[in-house]
Amino acid sequence: MNNNTTPSASVLRLLRWFCPEALYESIEGDLREQFEIDLSVRGKGYAKRRLLWNVLRFFHPEIVLRNRFSITLINTIMIGNYVKVTWRNIQKRKVYSIINAVGLSIGIAFCMLIFLFIRDEQSFDQFHTNKNNIYRIDVHEYAYWDVNVEEKDRNDSHAYMQLGLKQVLKEEAPMVEYATRYSNSFKGIVKYDDKVFTEDLTYVDADFFNMFSFKLISGNREKLFATNSEVAITEGVAHKYFGDENPIGKTMQIDSEGEKSFLVSGIIETPPSNSSINFKILLPIENRPYYEKQLDRWGSFSTPTFVQLKAGSDLTAFNYNLEKITEKHMGDRLKNRRKEGNVPDNIDIFHYGYTALPDIHLKKEIDWEKVSDPQYSFILGGIALLILLIACINYISLALTSSASRRKEVGVRKVLGAFRKQLIFQFGFESLVLACISLIIGFGLAILFLPFFNEFTDKAIPISNENLLILLGSGVMITLLVGLLAGSYPSLVLSGFKPVLVLKNSYGTKVNTAFTKPLVVLQFALSAFLIISSVIMYKQMYFITTKNLGYNSDQVLVIPTQTGWNNEAEKVVARFRTRMQHDGDVVAVSGTSSSFNRGWSKNGYKIDGINRSAFVYAVDPYYVPLLNLELESGRNFDVNIPSDTNAVVVNEALVKDMGWTDPLNEYLNYNEDSVGPGARVIGVLKDYHYRSLEAPIDPMFLSMDKEFVGHLATMLVKVSSRNIPETIEKLTKAWIALYPDKPFDYTFMDQDVARQYESHQRWMSIVGLSTGFAILISCLGLFGLAGINAVNRTKEIGIRKVMGAELSNIFVLMNKQFIWLSIIAFIIAIPFSWYVMRQWLTKFEFRIDMDWTLLAGSILCGVVIALLTVSYHSLKAAHTNPAETLKYE
Amino acid sequence: MNKSYLGEFEELILTIVGILQEEAYGNAIVTEIKHRVDRDVNLSAVHVTLYRLEDKGYVKSSMGGATNSRGGRRKRIFTITNAGIAVLRAMKESRTELWKLIPQLKISYGQG
Repeated sequence: MNNNTTPSASVLRLLRWFCPEALYESIEGDLREQFEIDLSVRGKGYAKRRLLWNVLRFFHPEIVLRNRFSITLINTIMIGNYVKVTWRNIQKRKVYSIINAVGLSIGIAFCMLIFLFIRDEQSFDQFHTNKNNIYRIDVHEYAYWDVNVEEKDRNDSHAYMQLGLKQVLKEEAPMVEYATRYSNSFKGIVKYDDKVFTEDLTYVDADFFNMFSFKLISGNREKLFATNSEVAITEGVAHKYFGDENPIGKTMQIDSEGEKSFLVSGIIETPPSNSSINFKILLPIENRPYYEKQLDRWGSFSTPTFVQLKAGSDLTAFNYNLEKITEKHMGDRLKNRRKEGNVPDNIDIFHYGYTALPDIHLKKEIDWEKVSDPQYSFILGGIALLILLIACINYISLALTSSASRRKEVGVRKVLGAFRKQLIFQFGFESLVLACISLIIGFGLAILFLPFFNEFTDKAIPISNENLLILLGSGVMITLLVGLLAGSYPSLVLSGFKPVLVLKNSYGTKVNTAFTKPLVVLQFALSAFLIISSVIMYKQMYFITTKNLGYNSDQVLVIPTQTGWNNEAEKVVARFRTRMQHDGDVVAVSGTSSSFNRGWSKNGYKIDGINRSAFVYAVDPYYVPLLNLELESGRNFDVNIPSDTNAVVVNEALVKDMGWTDPLNEYLNYNEDSVGPGARVIGVLKDYHYRSLEAPIDPMFLSMDKEFVGHLATMLVKVSSRNIPETIEKLTKAWIALYPDKPFDYTFMDQDVARQYESHQRWMSIVGLSTGFAILISCLGLFGLAGINAVNRTKEIGIRKVMGAELSNIFVLMNKQFIWLSIIAFIIAIPFSWYVMRQWLTKFEFRIDMDWTLLAGSILCGVVIALLTVSYHSLKAAHTNPAETLKYE
Repeated sequence: MNKSYLGEFEELILTIVGILQEEAYGNAIVTEIKHRVDRDVNLSAVHVTLYRLEDKGYVKSSMGGATNSRGGRRKRIFTITNAGIAVLRAMKESRTELWKLIPQLKISYGQG
């Protein structure tokens, strides 16, 4: 009953929600009074309706916005003043403003670039209309035959399929709409008129054009590759061969294991830089070398295959189909494998899988051109955030330590009626203005650095309008974040000053730097982390590039014989040697199946019932002397001993692997000859690094058995160090005289070898560069702090000098604390960098030791940098005439 | 001139506040207007106008003592300030001035 005669609580709550606190009580009272009158006169129903109506009537701008409105009004009035004060502050303290702006803008520029990088990584293959239905078929295999692989590395995944799989998929998996093979590991000699070049060739099926969204500039998508003698080329290739002519309908000669004529029937867009599928010249797959031979070889994995499933297909059903295909076509083979390798039943020896097209780029487990480790994004992002953090710390510590000069301002503002909120707003506004200035500089820096950044990260991010917009957008986001992050703490501290204490000057003239010390230590620790990391990276890279690899790759030209995989190759090497051997500038000519960092081949074989494997190179007798390989025992191949074709020269690792004590009386039966004892071992080479230093030296042998081991697809020419350009010209002329229809391509072996470490070199540059910036920014901060410190202690120094302190005493006094700070920072940073760098070094089989000298070196280097930075101010303070500083007292 | 301008409703409320003296609060003003000029006004309109007058400095307010009615909520008592009285007087005078300017002829004509 009582409930019904009082106003309902919810209506009053509504009133309380919108009504300003100051007015609430009297309004509620009036409403209650009205309610009581209505209740007695007209009854409770009317009273309640009237109350609700009255409350709603109070939802009036002059009630709701009262008080709140007045504050916003004041703020808009004050903004003009804030702008003025901000500008005056920037001008008054130019050095600090520059330090802050430089630091922040570098940080912002870094972040913007990294954002572009991460976006580019995410954008891979997103431009295909059918991207959600296209899958790359993968294979997950158990490496049962290779004994030199550790158990944990046995699960091998790759994207190379049997050549016949595509047809089977189309016929036996009903959800497959299109399927294409994609084979781009071949090179060929391409000719039109007098233009002859070696080009990368990509072999695909006709379905390729239906699946992928590369624009066809001319040609008919439906009819493309209707015959096997058509070719589609990119604009670049069209321009290279045909200039301004229309290429459509012209005939090109393409030689890859045999010359054929192809009719140009399509011009296709060059794949963008964020495409996992790249090509210049597309040919029907039927023209691929050894196509017929390999078509029903289910043991030969050579060709990536893509399928497009019908929209809305069930992936479990597709998986089931893949299993059925495995069973039908590979069943017996897999059983044999299991038996042969003694693989237990619980190990999955082989299965097909698939990867959605947009996932290919970041799936680092499966090797693919341009495949990338998502970790890179994290590392780069981390570095950018570190630098931004260091810059923010600069801002915070400088704002705090220079707050002395703002104290009076805060006091006066408060006395004149400023709320704390307004002061927070004011200082936040100031940091935002500074961040905006930095944004503009940072934006310019980002555009300036983009080409270098592309080079470092091996990307091709263009300066397009879209990217500029992204840069600006991300920049504004970062700026707001930084403005808030860096501005919030100082503004809270500054706005908290008590006006009475400030104006009575009880804080003194000294600035308390205690709270900025942890920030400086943190900042310096971050820089120290980068310093130690880059020193270690530099040492390791120096070690790698200067390590004695066991062979001499200087002045060795690597020239592909351009013959394909047949005994023409040997003839090319022999003819070229005959022609050039009397030239004084040519030291030696040799041939090999593959040169360093230009591919390798590994043979697996069974000897005495044990599975073994070794790397193998086909060579000629000139190979060992040309590379200055050292023989441990025995002899090199000899041209004059015919039986040497069935002999091998092995390395020490192989001797060890076989457990031979007298290797020169052994035979290596690598071709599993059931009649004879196999190849005779005639020499043992000292171990040399035929692979990168990331890999161990595994068993390896050299052979002259061309049929079994391989042909001399690569010619090595060692030239004298005198006038190399002229020699190369002579070689080119000789080549053109011998093979006018084949291009003369060459590289230098030492460059090939160095290229193995390209990605490490790049990372070293990135870390080095960021270290440079981090040091720069934190030194700027340190410089600023030292300056404030010197100002704080002006009087103290004056007194000390009057009392007879030496210049050196004062110098030490001023620098001592900064040296301590930097040493503490290093002590904090050492364990982190130690851990991270150990992780990095495990990638190398051959690596430097991380010892204390390295760390001590880094610490020394860091401390010296810190000392140099702060010395300017200490010297200045020490040289000041005490009379100047004390006369005001 | 502009500052001292009062709307008709504002003038009414200000006058009532002057009449009620110590008893001028929201509800009393509503009742008084009903009683004297037989006009229904809304409570919220009265409050809004009172606050507006307070901003202009013609009334000032303070919280009265608690009572047993109204659920124990205090009243906000408004009193007219000197400025308020001055502006009322000025408005009355200016109106009288204007009134005098209406030709008396008309009245006499009507009377005649």
